[in-house]
Amino acid sequence: MALGLAVLATVHLAALGASFLAPYAPGRQNRTLPYASPTRVHVVDGAGHVHLRPFVHALSEAPGPGGAYEEDRSRAFPVRFLVRDDPEPRAPEGRLHLFGVEEPARIFLLGTDGFGRDQLSRLLHGAQISLFAGLLATVLSLATGWLLGTLAGFYGRWLDGIVMRAAEVFLALPWLYLLFAVRAVLPLHVSAGQAFLMLVLVIGLVDWARPARLVRGVVLSARERNYVLAARGFGASDLYLIRRHIAPQTFGLLLTQAALLVPQYILAEVTLSFLGLGVSEPVPSWGNMLAALQRYNVLASYWWMWAPGLALVPVFLAYFSLSEALHARVGPASP
Amino acid sequence: MAVEPPLVRIRGLTKRYGRRGARGGTAEVEALAGVDLAIARGAIVALVGLSGSGKSTLARCLARLEEPSGGEISFEGADLLALRGRALRGVREKIQLVFQDAAAALDPRLRAAEIVSEPLEVLGRGGRVERRRRALELMESVGLPAAWGDRRPLDLSGGQRQRLAIARALAVQPRLLILDEAFTGLDASIQAQIAGLLVELRARHGLTYLCISHDLALVSVLADEVAILFEGRIVEEGPAARIFADARHPHTRALVGAVAALPALSASPPAP
Amino acid sequence: MAWLARRALHGLFLLLAVSILSFALVELAPGDFFAEMRLDPRVSEATLRALRARHGLDRPLPERYLRWVASLARGELGYSFAYGSPVAPLLWPRARNTLLLTATATAVAWALAIPIGTWWATLRGRAARHLLGGLFALLLALPDIVLALALLLLAVRTGWFPAGGMVSLGHEQLSWSGRVQDVVRHLALPAAALVLAVLPVLVRHVRASMAAVLDAPFVRAARGHGLSETRVLLSHALPAAANPLISLFGLSLAGLLSMSLLVEVVMSWPGLGPLLLEAILARDFYLVLGLVLASTFLLVAGNLLADALLLAADPRIRTGAR
Repeated sequence: MALGLAVLATVHLAALGASFLAPYAPGRQNRTLPYASPTRVHVVDGAGHVHLRPFVHALSEAPGPGGAYEEDRSRAFPVRFLVRDDPEPRAPEGRLHLFGVEEPARIFLLGTDGFGRDQLSRLLHGAQISLFAGLLATVLSLATGWLLGTLAGFYGRWLDGIVMRAAEVFLALPWLYLLFAVRAVLPLHVSAGQAFLMLVLVIGLVDWARPARLVRGVVLSARERNYVLAARGFGASDLYLIRRHIAPQTFGLLLTQAALLVPQYILAEVTLSFLGLGVSEPVPSWGNMLAALQRYNVLASYWWMWAPGLALVPVFLAYFSLSEALHARVGPASP
Repeated sequence: MAVEPPLVRIRGLTKRYGRRGARGGTAEVEALAGVDLAIARGAIVALVGLSGSGKSTLARCLARLEEPSGGEISFEGADLLALRGRALRGVREKIQLVFQDAAAALDPRLRAAEIVSEPLEVLGRGGRVERRRRALELMESVGLPAAWGDRRPLDLSGGQRQRLAIARALAVQPRLLILDEAFTGLDASIQAQIAGLLVELRARHGLTYLCISHDLALVSVLADEVAILFEGRIVEEGPAARIFADARHPHTRALVGAVAALPALSASPPAP
Repeated sequence: MAWLARRALHGLFLLLAVSILSFALVELAPGDFFAEMRLDPRVSEATLRALRARHGLDRPLPERYLRWVASLARGELGYSFAYGSPVAPLLWPRARNTLLLTATATAVAWALAIPIGTWWATLRGRAARHLLGGLFALLLALPDIVLALALLLLAVRTGWFPAGGMVSLGHEQLSWSGRVQDVVRHLALPAAALVLAVLPVLVRHVRASMAAVLDAPFVRAARGHGLSETRVLLSHALPAAANPLISLFGLSLAGLLSMSLLVEVVMSWPGLGPLLLEAILARDFYLVLGLVLASTFLLVAGNLLADALLLAADPRIRTGAR
């Protein structure tokens, strides 16, 4: 479990620190260097000398025979750390980056895409969208599910009936189809900020039914316990009973559910953006970055373009190991 | 002899439940079919009946945890069933219910002192420090060391948990304590200890008890008056000694006949 | 049997409820199909109004719903503006293709999951169990998109499988067996993607169920009677594990249908998925509505099938005992 948490913490911190960690702004294009393969970082120069500071070569402007860009070995550009950009209106002192190289060389550790944009920078910035959309949507889904499940379980009778029937209807559709249907009725072309908000709201609100059912089950059994009855005997209000006795029983369930849902919701964002229904260009998200792979030549020739998809694997593994560990600690969460 | 009005007078209490039948229909179950009972101030009244006779239902109606279908209950002269809102809250402290199976009646996540002080917390009496002090005091008064204030219920034995439940019930200084099968599941020696504790508490705090049980032998030791509940009705009531010596109703006779030995009474052996 | 009939009726009610809610959802949408046309300066307001009136888009909400239900009764499910045809004829071939894909994938996945899961449950060595666990965890963590794209890459690079579509050019000219072969070759990769996506989950659950059952007293008794391990597995353990596994089958259907949406789009399998995407991009709401209903129908039908299997497998439900 500790390993899973460590991985997640690292990834999310990296995402938050994208502006610093990434060598370039995500939108910065290098039209002359589309689909450049990852820059080779050398420590040994042509003469066989070892340099302490790694260096790169500039790339020739046009692809040579075989399609790859050739390195211009005449000049070495050392990798610099803590580099500042040129000042710009929004950042008067120039943005600080962890590493970089002097012009005209570039350091594309994960290559470039069709517009010559650094994939590493886009990956880091895209993480902000994909990872946090999943996280926020989970919070929303669990909050809504918890509220409705608790109300249904605690007050029972007609309220329970309505909520449960509604849940059944929502669960009658395959989840992704429901998501698409709701997405369908919203405007197609929205700004990136609106898209992010919309994604979080749609993904989070549409899937309330599964957490709600589970919470309701816990609340139903907790409600019948004698200590709840005893507290009622002292004149405790409903709010007190829920706050003091019933809600705490649901927290373990919520945690386990969270670990299961976040990967699902991240995948939902990635899927929607991949298909053009989520965050769209030029703002990077792991989903719309993967969309480039829909063209066969990109799919087959440029392996570095798979990075966003592959980056998901450790994230998901971490969440799964977390959910296993929580499951062992807290008890079963799924029906 | 001055006739003092009873603390509790129950008249014609009825309670009906609708139960889903096997084929989807609704069958009505009559848990209480017209109960008449009077509980004098300071008395220990035992309500005895088999499972399903309606004992717990009666206890809950009395504690206003359930609403009866009909009948009346007067408490200290006032109509208990008519109370609502603030007046009802005021009366709740005076009638407390101690459940069977203290393990289920105590929230396993809370610590002993928190459990005991919960009624005070709900009613908003005193700050946190004051409540804890009072809780530890109460624990001592039921024979639990104050040092156990931070233990969890599952770390205590059955008897100790029951004492905790009693301490909690006493927190609000009730007049009437309803003990619903409070002895069931405890060892005989522990039962005796709890019984002794209850007698002592009654003397000290001027309490009235309604002891509900299916075990006649058990409550006979403790009770002044015994009432036999059978299929939702009181079929016989009277002083404990008389019930044993001279049971009138066939059901009472059956219950008495099942009693093996009566350590505290020197009455003649039960009728065959 | 009455129980099954009740479940079927329940499913019907669900479909109805979904239809009402979806219709309401579509009505909440800002703009409609013709709103996109408004941006075209060649189309005048009057034309738009006439188009709207012709398709009844200017009528009040209840009336529009009733008209739509009427078209449902006629078997049309509304009108698709983008395709200029009633929705229903567009749906049937697509629904059939989705069914083909998901049914095949389900069958293959279960055919693999049961033996693998059972074998895993009987494994002794801790190292072997951990290895399998790690392998399936990795497979589970691989996003469906990446799986589908990887298989597509396989197709493009090796040419062993076609890279999309359901039939090749000149399909009609083939003989009957040739046509079947053609579809199977196209089906292979999308089905493989679905199978790989859903296998880890199934295998784990099979393993858990079988491990629990294999430990049960009655199984140990059977072994003690000298029955061979295979016999024990087939005649005693599997039937006992049938109940939770059939429930799992029912629960996994929704996920499978969702995954098939993505796989269909990425691998160009002509099912409900790609049509839904097109409909969304074209703002063709009645088509979206019809597709959503079609997917719900598939899910409800699948659940009914699971219920029927449960009925067959678990005698307790048949006698009504609780």
